Amino acid sequence: MASSSLKRREQPMSRDGDQLIITPLGAGNEVGRSCVYMSFRGKTILFDCGIHPAYSGMAALPYFDEIDPSTIDVLLITHFHLDHAASLPYFLEKTTFKGRVFMTHATKAIYKLLLTDYVKVSKVSVEDMLFDEQDINKSMDRIEVIDFHQTVEVNGIKFWCYTAGHVLGAAMFMVDIAGVRILYTGDYSREEDRHLKAAELPQFSPDICIIESTSGVQIHQARHIREKRFTDVIHSTVAQGGRVLIPAFALGRAQELLLILDEYWSNHPDLHNIPIYYASPLAKKCMAVYQTYILSMNDRIRNQFANSNPFVFKHISPLNSIDDFRDVGPSVVMATPGGLQSGLSRQLFDIWCSDKKNSCIIPGYMVEGTLAKTIINEPKEVTLMNGLTAPLNMQVHYISFSAHADYAQTSTFLKELMPPNIILVHGEANEMMRLKQKLFTEFPDGNTKIMTPKNCESVEMYFNSEKMAKTIGRLAEKTPDVGDTVSGILVKKGFTYQIMAPDDLHVFSQLSTATVTQRITIPFAGAFGVIKHRLEKIFESVEFSTDEETGLPALKVHERVTVKQESEKHISLQWSSDPISDMVSDSIVALVLNISREVPKIVVEEEDVVKSEEENGKKVEKVIYALLVSLFGDVKQGENGKLVISVDGNVAQLDKESGDVESEHEGLKERVRLAFQRIQSAVKPIPLSAS
Amino acid sequence: MGTSVQVTPLCGVYNENPLSYLVSIDGFNFLLDCGWNDLFDTSLLEPLSRVASSIDAVLLSHPDTLHLGALPYAMKQLGLSAPVYATEPVHRLGLLTMYDQYLSRKQVSDFDLFTLDDIDNAFQNVIRLTYSQNYHLSGKGEGIVIAPHVAGHMLGGSIWKITKDGEDVIYAVDYNHRKERHLNGTVLQSFVRPAVLITDAYHALYTSQTARQQRDKEFLDTISKHLEVGGNVLLPVDTAGRVLELLLILEQHWSQRAFSFPIYFLTYVSSSTIDYVKSFLEWMSDSISKSFETSRDNAFLLRHVTLLINKTDLDNAPPGPKVVLASMGSLEAGFARDIFVEWANDPRNLVLFTETGQFGTLARMLQSAPPPKFVKVTMSKRVPLAGEELIAYEEEQNRLKREEALRVSLVKEEEIKASHGPDDTSSEPMIIDTKTNHDVVGSHGPAYKDIFIDGFVPPSSSLAPMFPFYDNTSVWDDFGEVINPDDYVIKDEDMDRGAMLNGDDVDGRLDEAAASLMLDTRPSKVISNELIVTVSCSLVKMDYEGRSDGRSIKSMIAHVSPLKLVLVHAIAEATEHLRQHCLNNICPHVYAPQIEETVDVTSDLCAYKVQLSEKLMSNVIFKKLGDSEVAWVDSEVGKTESDMRSLLPMTSAVSPHKPVLVGDLKIADFKQFLSSKGVQVEFAGGGALRCGEYVTLRKVGPTGQKGGASGPQQILIEGPLCEDYYKIRDYLYSQFYLL
Repeated sequence: MASSSLKRREQPMSRDGDQLIITPLGAGNEVGRSCVYMSFRGKTILFDCGIHPAYSGMAALPYFDEIDPSTIDVLLITHFHLDHAASLPYFLEKTTFKGRVFMTHATKAIYKLLLTDYVKVSKVSVEDMLFDEQDINKSMDRIEVIDFHQTVEVNGIKFWCYTAGHVLGAAMFMVDIAGVRILYTGDYSREEDRHLKAAELPQFSPDICIIESTSGVQIHQARHIREKRFTDVIHSTVAQGGRVLIPAFALGRAQELLLILDEYWSNHPDLHNIPIYYASPLAKKCMAVYQTYILSMNDRIRNQFANSNPFVFKHISPLNSIDDFRDVGPSVVMATPGGLQSGLSRQLFDIWCSDKKNSCIIPGYMVEGTLAKTIINEPKEVTLMNGLTAPLNMQVHYISFSAHADYAQTSTFLKELMPPNIILVHGEANEMMRLKQKLFTEFPDGNTKIMTPKNCESVEMYFNSEKMAKTIGRLAEKTPDVGDTVSGILVKKGFTYQIMAPDDLHVFSQLSTATVTQRITIPFAGAFGVIKHRLEKIFESVEFSTDEETGLPALKVHERVTVKQESEKHISLQWSSDPISDMVSDSIVALVLNISREVPKIVVEEEDVVKSEEENGKKVEKVIYALLVSLFGDVKQGENGKLVISVDGNVAQLDKESGDVESEHEGLKERVRLAFQRIQSAVKPIPLSAS
Repeated sequence: MGTSVQVTPLCGVYNENPLSYLVSIDGFNFLLDCGWNDLFDTSLLEPLSRVASSIDAVLLSHPDTLHLGALPYAMKQLGLSAPVYATEPVHRLGLLTMYDQYLSRKQVSDFDLFTLDDIDNAFQNVIRLTYSQNYHLSGKGEGIVIAPHVAGHMLGGSIWKITKDGEDVIYAVDYNHRKERHLNGTVLQSFVRPAVLITDAYHALYTSQTARQQRDKEFLDTISKHLEVGGNVLLPVDTAGRVLELLLILEQHWSQRAFSFPIYFLTYVSSSTIDYVKSFLEWMSDSISKSFETSRDNAFLLRHVTLLINKTDLDNAPPGPKVVLASMGSLEAGFARDIFVEWANDPRNLVLFTETGQFGTLARMLQSAPPPKFVKVTMSKRVPLAGEELIAYEEEQNRLKREEALRVSLVKEEEIKASHGPDDTSSEPMIIDTKTNHDVVGSHGPAYKDIFIDGFVPPSSSLAPMFPFYDNTSVWDDFGEVINPDDYVIKDEDMDRGAMLNGDDVDGRLDEAAASLMLDTRPSKVISNELIVTVSCSLVKMDYEGRSDGRSIKSMIAHVSPLKLVLVHAIAEATEHLRQHCLNNICPHVYAPQIEETVDVTSDLCAYKVQLSEKLMSNVIFKKLGDSEVAWVDSEVGKTESDMRSLLPMTSAVSPHKPVLVGDLKIADFKQFLSSKGVQVEFAGGGALRCGEYVTLRKVGPTGQKGGASGPQQILIEGPLCEDYYKIRDYLYSQFYLL
């Protein structure tokens, strides 16, 4: 309490707000191992769970040590790429995480194939393995699926996802915690291509937008120009009898390129005798997924689907290994891996690189240190896999089909959304700074904050989330005016509040109220009149009546407890439970027992009961003082009978007579006032009627 | 006051007619479902026609004729122009269902209520939503949020939640709480205490006795028994709804038993249906999507089922026993009717009904007990025109063209005279068209009905409870004699005319949308002949309807426990039964309106919104109870800067309130709790719990109701003064929160 109030004083602008923390555990000022931690009002969310492709083993993981995985409520995965999803099996199986995981259907289906393949091909020692195939299979059982636009609520956290473009099944997550909305874009693209929808523009503006910045301030070439360059290179190469090699990553852009090729071939009958192969067992497996989740793609492909499935290619055939490949004439081969490190794409490259009729098209982002990156600069010679060098005569083209939003898309996206807070992640540090500078010029009014936290660097924000309640039922029959009192049961469910009368509780909520009636019998052989006499001495209100059925006498004490003579030897007490009635009944029981046992003491007790007012007052004062000391510690007797209470250097003066409190510190004043009120009601006699 | 809600049934109350209900929420009119039956009886749509133009949004719940059949007709003829909301499968499979209906009808009659184009137009602007997608309406419906949720029963089937100002109106018909092979069970039970629940009482009197496994076994045994003796099995099915479940059962069983008997799925759209269904995995059950995610095994990649789209393929199939699933389930049209007529007289064959046939159809007649020995059916066939008829047709066509040209030129002249805008010119010929069409409908509308409903004609005006009543063959003969053969002669001519008018329309459409669907492009006519079919094949009915049964419906409604309940879509007896049950046990406001009777279910709930000030909230200590938290607040009303009511802490002394015990005590649970604490407990007579030697505890007052609609619980604890008493009282208190 004390520490939080200190913090609030430091931030006078956001006094009454709740703190929201965002910490990138990966992808802060870097590309790879996306993982962003967010916490607000006791709810915790993790976005993405990737690995860094440049590192191996534990070093590739996001900084999970920074957080307590067991506190995370929800983990949301945007898409299946390794830098967004590949540490998930580790996180699920090897940490204390026990929350829920969500991803889209298509992502889940490809996730398994991709990670199984990743485990197989990654050549690290067993100790360095973060997880094995079994962990992946186990993780499949824990992953839940979410459909686009479907709203899911977990522990009061509401979230749903929008199409993100980028790859099949890619999603942007919108999270709503108590009315504060956070949009996490993941990787997104605002450009519609051959099969994917463009990223949607959310219908609500978020309070915080966590957005990728991979492309920085670059602007992409228009799609049709890129496609034309791509098909032109291929057409001219095969027309001259050459071969085209397209090294590509198995999933994502490869499917787009295949669609372009298949369509181009369909429109050019002269090319029909030239074969196109795609050589990736993984892509072949994933084709079933692409053929199934047609509905998450764009209208173009859905309309084609009405006639035939566009992912059943007419001109493209799969190729399992180089042994099945008959290199007899012009052909187009798309092969993995994209970086030409090894495998089929490299085997073909080694065979074809010295013939100047051949072409190699690099269709996307290349990782530093791979052969693909090297040949972009068109060196004279290259080293083959067998160690020999060969002249590089084939033409090398770089045509980027990367599906990350460029600067134009990012800035229009943000201008449409106008989020007051922008957090940049997933971008190389320099690119990110350039983007930040340029965005500042776009939002010159100064109302937009742009932040670029590094890994493990927290961004703190304060949100003054108004708590609204709905008063319903009997309590709301009359709308109150200022100054009226409203008393009732406040029911909180998730982040919604309702106030209702106790009698309405079962109507508007699943809760119910209960009354507990107690009936106790006490052996008592004496005259009932004695009890009546004694009770009248102690309690203010004792009503006498006669039971109509049995004709036996009964007493109603304090309007709560009924004392009845059941028989010669027994009396019974009946009351309905609540603390005061319980207390009254206890004292009646004690009294009855005392009558039967210690008759002579009556007189003495009677004297005790009558106490001088003065003595009483002193006692009360003592009690109040003692209780205040136990609550606040430093309580001194001040002037004019006032009590001086000091807590953490703040001083409050309490007037014991009126209950007025004077203090410069609002919080302390309120607490003292309330404490005094409660103490007073505790030491005073019980009021006759509670209601 | 709360949001105003009015419900007006347009069709489908106190009987099993198609569903269509008008719900008006603060003046915004929702049409919930827009169904029609397999007989396409236009009189059913009269109430709809009166309100169609005032409707602001249409919500569809299932992809079958009963839930969306009237959409194309209403859009074209009744002036319905509101946006339609449905899930993707309901949209797509509904479209295919309508195609199948149209093509089946067209094949046997001159069907002109709507065309393929009308179907396309109606479905073109469907706004597709996913489950649990909160869709915020704009414009007139500002502030209303609609969301479809899983209903079970059919692929994409939805229960709709309409929310305004925190009050929920839930429309849930034909839901299934049980998980099936291809579908998850409904999520209806996750909604608690909605302001209004509109639901059907269709199965209120029905109890399904057999467990799923046993039912499946019986189903497959019956089929294989008939196949093994060389008989054929016909399953009359719907186009794209429940048939999916049957296909999966058969497919699975055939793989297990390695049967070689062929299975055919025969509708005009079977191949497109399965193609689409294969891409709807995310709408299916968890086990189906899981098996795809882990092994990319698409459950609808059918290995044992051959998809056929015309009957010649079936006729050309190798002879021998086979299983055929064909539409329509009502046997009123479609391939199923043809096959039934062919197969009915062989005692080795089996016609297996998987759902109750629609009221007044051939299927329903065959399902009666005892089944009729003979049925009279009118078989119609479309045949190409030849010889003189063809010449006559061409002449007629030419004449029509000339007339039209003449009229157009006349109109043009008129226009020039009246100096009208050019827009009207183009619309004029269309008006002529509709006029002619209308004449055709009018001339043999009533007679048309007679062809398709044999033996029993439901008086469409009647709202009284009706029970299926089937005439015996002898009486039925009498009825047959009444028919004047001359009527038929005239009708055939009429039909020719109709075909001429509509022929081109249909054919043009087909090339575009359904290349696989074959229809003769030549001018053709429909010829009908009456047959008396001896029904000697076995007739079996099994329940694969995929709806919750009466008991589940009751417990489901009790769980949801709406503040107000509206019952629709069931025969009078079932409606009344469920109404009484709910009145006695669930809630005091149960309505079962008649057609076009508007019931006002506006909640009498008072409510206002307040802001909870930070000052107040910092002093509130919540206690957790289930998934909600409770606290007592005493506060004073103030105003915020934005003139909003705000609750502030009390400035004056708080007057103590009557303490409230919050919690739900279940005697059985409490017994367990006590015994875990080492107290000897046992049930004494009358629901009392004996704790230890002397103390007894019991619930008094009305008990046995779920959902707590009854009011506070009354618990009585009694015993002599002893230590045990106070111990047990403490345990009892620990079950509650004191506020």
